[in-house]
Amino acid sequence: MNDLKYVGKPSVRIDGKEKISGATRYTDDLEFGPNLHFAAIVESTEAHAKILSIDTTEAENFPGVVSVFTGKDFPFKFGLYMKDRYIFAMDTVHYVGQQIAAIVARDIKTAQKAAKLVKVEYKPLPAIFDQMEALKEDAIIIHPDLGEYPHVPWFFPQANTNIAHWRKTRRGSITKGFEDADYILEDTYTVPRYAHCPLETHVAVGLCDLSGRLTIWASSQSPHTQRNLFAESLAPLGFTHKDVRVIAPPIGGGFGGKAGVSMEILAAAIATKVRGNPVKIIWSREQEFYNTSQRLGVIAKLKIGVKNDGTFTAIDHKLYWDTGASAEYGANVVNAIGLSAIGPYRFHNISIDSVCLYTNLPPCGAYRGFGYSEFMFGLESHINRIADHLKIDAVEIRKINAIKENDTLAYGVPMNPNGLIECIDKVTKEIEWGKEVKSENPNIKIGKGFSLIWKAPAMPPNASSAAFLKFSEDGSINILVSGMDMGQGYLTVMAQIAAEILAVPITKIRTENPDTDRNPYEWQTVASHVTWSCGNAVRKAAIDAREQIFDVVSRTLYLPKDMLFLEDEKVKCKTKPSFELPLKDFVINGIQAEDSTFKGGPIMGHGIFMPEYTSADSDPETSQGGHPNVHYTVGAAAITLEVDKDSGEMHIRKAVEAIDVGKAINPSLVKGQITGGLLQGLATVLYEDMRFDDKGKMLNPNFTDYKIPTAKDVPDEIVPIIVEVPQPDGPFGARGVGEHTMIPAAPMIANAVNDALGIRIKSMPITKEKVALENLKKKEKINV
Amino acid sequence: MAILNDFKYYKPQEINETLQLLSEFKENAKILAGGTDLIVHLKEDLVKTENVIDIKGITQLNKIDISKDNIFLGSGVTFTEIIESPELKDKLPILWEASKKVASIGIRNRATVVGNICSAVPSLDSAPALLVYDAEIVVQSKNGKRNISIHNWFTGPKQTILKPEELVLGINIPITIHAGVYEKLGRYRGEDLAQAGIGIFVDEIKNYRFAYCAVGPVPKRMKKLEDFLQGKEISDKLLEEAAELIPNEISPISDIRSSKEYRIHMMKVMFKRGLQESVVILKGGRS
Amino acid sequence: MKKIILKINGELRSVYVEPEEILLDVLREKLGVKSPKCGCDRGDCGACAVLLNGRSVRSCLVLAIETDGQEIVTVEGISKDGLNKVQNTMLDKNAFQCGFCAPGMIISTTELIEKNPHPNLEEIKEALSGNLCRCTGYLPILESVQEATKEEHHE
Repeated sequence: MNDLKYVGKPSVRIDGKEKISGATRYTDDLEFGPNLHFAAIVESTEAHAKILSIDTTEAENFPGVVSVFTGKDFPFKFGLYMKDRYIFAMDTVHYVGQQIAAIVARDIKTAQKAAKLVKVEYKPLPAIFDQMEALKEDAIIIHPDLGEYPHVPWFFPQANTNIAHWRKTRRGSITKGFEDADYILEDTYTVPRYAHCPLETHVAVGLCDLSGRLTIWASSQSPHTQRNLFAESLAPLGFTHKDVRVIAPPIGGGFGGKAGVSMEILAAAIATKVRGNPVKIIWSREQEFYNTSQRLGVIAKLKIGVKNDGTFTAIDHKLYWDTGASAEYGANVVNAIGLSAIGPYRFHNISIDSVCLYTNLPPCGAYRGFGYSEFMFGLESHINRIADHLKIDAVEIRKINAIKENDTLAYGVPMNPNGLIECIDKVTKEIEWGKEVKSENPNIKIGKGFSLIWKAPAMPPNASSAAFLKFSEDGSINILVSGMDMGQGYLTVMAQIAAEILAVPITKIRTENPDTDRNPYEWQTVASHVTWSCGNAVRKAAIDAREQIFDVVSRTLYLPKDMLFLEDEKVKCKTKPSFELPLKDFVINGIQAEDSTFKGGPIMGHGIFMPEYTSADSDPETSQGGHPNVHYTVGAAAITLEVDKDSGEMHIRKAVEAIDVGKAINPSLVKGQITGGLLQGLATVLYEDMRFDDKGKMLNPNFTDYKIPTAKDVPDEIVPIIVEVPQPDGPFGARGVGEHTMIPAAPMIANAVNDALGIRIKSMPITKEKVALENLKKKEKINV
Repeated sequence: MAILNDFKYYKPQEINETLQLLSEFKENAKILAGGTDLIVHLKEDLVKTENVIDIKGITQLNKIDISKDNIFLGSGVTFTEIIESPELKDKLPILWEASKKVASIGIRNRATVVGNICSAVPSLDSAPALLVYDAEIVVQSKNGKRNISIHNWFTGPKQTILKPEELVLGINIPITIHAGVYEKLGRYRGEDLAQAGIGIFVDEIKNYRFAYCAVGPVPKRMKKLEDFLQGKEISDKLLEEAAELIPNEISPISDIRSSKEYRIHMMKVMFKRGLQESVVILKGGRS
Repeated sequence: MKKIILKINGELRSVYVEPEEILLDVLREKLGVKSPKCGCDRGDCGACAVLLNGRSVRSCLVLAIETDGQEIVTVEGISKDGLNKVQNTMLDKNAFQCGFCAPGMIISTTELIEKNPHPNLEEIKEALSGNLCRCTGYLPILESVQEATKEEHHE
């Protein structure tokens, strides 16, 4: 490849200055004028109940209230992959916090006061808070209409059960595999629910003007998907896609929680009934915990067979997921893991059952890592235990079984090119694997932990990206795309890709978050796929623009087209070194020909990308026959962990994470992803978990008791390592990295705690309390 | 989030003016100092009041008075002001350390020690220090002044002996030569409410004083432990024996923040480590 | 309604407030000062931090009426004449991602440097630990503050 001038450079992010100067306008910062209305939401206090009556009279009569809405005003189902939700509860509530009514007023205080006056009469029903209960044959059925819900063809809901989806993958014969094994380890690992906790809570403003045009401003990862779902679910009110517009200002963090559609549909629906007035809904931090989709909890039953030489012979992985009261998004997490729960390992005999279960807890959905963090906790813990049993080094056993290019994946497709072994080796070296570290403090034991990283984007087979690129008079560029920069640096990376192809510095490129009326299509900013997918679209748009440039120069100035190239914002010619034509001289106004006419005109590139080799059609009993995933990103990570043997307090001295990103378009931003994602992962294992009482009420819907880490809780050192084995169909070889960064955190901690103290904790989180008490138990056992 | 209930706001400049307002409103008024508790409670509708009396305008209440044998902390004194005082660091090291462990700077810049003890939550960080210092709370109403021993102050979780018409003027703390620490159990290094806390006081003549927070309904001194150690030289063996008295001194609960079992275990660990450290400090091993 | 007068980012402003109105809401909705953000509404996250008479406070836990006659500085004021040294270092290091916590972080940093121009790492962590960030893992922010405040040795 030629020397790259912009791609591969640690450029300053193009939206950096506005964020640091306080200039960035997030959705709640936008002004909507004196007609802005607010909606307060009345939520269910019951986990499962029939609604006998909703008395809104007092609220309606409260001075200042404009309107009151309930389920009967919007009897429309919605959902991303399965339509199993209503905008407001109809006759049944399925979880505490479910929306029942909305009060609209000109100020938020009036709306909130009136919301307290709505009286809901419930007839409580038995409720299920544990997915294993939901699986039982005599369990109450949470969704009696499950058999009738429209859903994507790759889901297999089972009517008259609580099973929203069951992904089965079978390959080879596990019976034979386990027969061939010298050692089999079988155990259960438990992972609770987690919350995304973006600092900016969800907010949406809807405006349906008097001409019937519906605009929604939303803090969103999925503007086009939202427009599509709004238009679909509001179709009975006469809305078509043309009438619906989503504008997505910069967002204050997403992590999957702002993907798909959740509360935004309230703003869209309510706006249609208070025409002419913008209506704002903003989630409180408590609502953010309850009502934005949570990360699914899972109970994983894992059985692995292995030869004495460390070769794996079979895996049987059964995963029971708690998706809460809706599976519209959660079931796709379950699906993704049902295809991938072998980890980055070569297995010939595979059985995976990934089961999505309804419960009466809040709905779950996408969360950075999309199920991989959850199952990798068990898998990577399990592999250490197997290595210990066989007296094989924990890294060595991973290298023996590490998946290589062209090895067959669980669903029968060859593995993409990857640098897994290089990642393992670089991490091993950096963490000084095998070298014992001792603390001077007798209370502190030090352990090391290791884990691999593995994840594919989970996308529908026809998810696509598109880009427009246009020039201004001075040769600067606007790129129009519809991915979201939620902090990962997507807009900067798109600018770098265009800069490279068009030889225009990124300081002369503007890329902004989208408006679905103006910007071309993007599926969603999820699955760590936009650098790869939208990067391809931008690359194509830039190439398209370049072709137009060469075409007009060639035909106007009679230069051979194939000899033209771009450098320093100029068109140059290999065979005529004296020729150079600045882009700014013609990208809008064209080139003046000899006869004094002008040729050309505004240069505008367009590009689209869809992976045309994927397919979700496969045998439902085995998952063989399709090509569901585009590629996997792999990596390795390790930590050196201090553990206080009495208090259980853990402190990370050093963390190392190597990821094969194909090509780091911006290494500074990749390192930012690694540092931030790793801490988010460490938080899920060390501090966080969502707790519910026996009535389905969340006990810690605030930062006082849902502890996300502070500046004092960081590792002393994080060493990010970038490995680059190009992705053949990636822009400049790039593949995604955003989610992968947090995946190794939990098993690494579990393995390091085991190394330090000899205790094995199989349920997340691994808090200091859990470590201290386990260690105490171990000591008592020894003393007995 | 808006505060849904309206109230009237008063900002008196004089103590008498405040006492007049309190005697007029009685239960129907709340004193506002730092506001870090009160405003949360007002927003979350946990407190309803028609009158809020901001005492930050009363100059006399914002002072720290240090005399030969006594320190007076006015009810407007914030945790930051304590932390920034080298004299308080020297003379009240346990309170100083506890102050540093309260929440975060943005809270400590507003929150007051007096507000902390008035909230009377079981986990309040300043209580163990004030208990081992035998502090006295100075309160005044229209009927006069009275001093209340910190030992009688807490009457239950979130309850104090303070009467509605009384205003806390400040806290008197006798100066004694001592060393000590405040050990706090949190879920991580960042700000957290204490899941268990112990204030440890030692002096040259082997007086030992201990007080806890968050492991009983109200913060309290640990008298059995004190009596057991009185006059004794600290050794590892003695520490182990003494630690076994702790479960009888405390009555922790299991809640979302911590289990009873872990709280008991950590009280022992913090007691042993904290006392060892305090002895080292006393002998000049650490300033 | 009471009229209060504030000095905001160097400018005297007056505004009518009800006693129960929160400073954060008044700044954002009545005075157009948008950099302080609401992240938790109960003092846990620090996104709403502003300097009140030179000290950082949680503007979500202050009544607007309390600040009558007082001085408030936000990131708009700090950035008025361009980015300062710490901000520029943060920019160069891509220290923030979503940026929602940035105004609060910069307020805490400003207060720290005012008191302690050359803080050590522990002091920086102490100063910033009241500002939650979910994106960055904090290290790039801590490094930026460290680098921008280290003592320059002239030889």
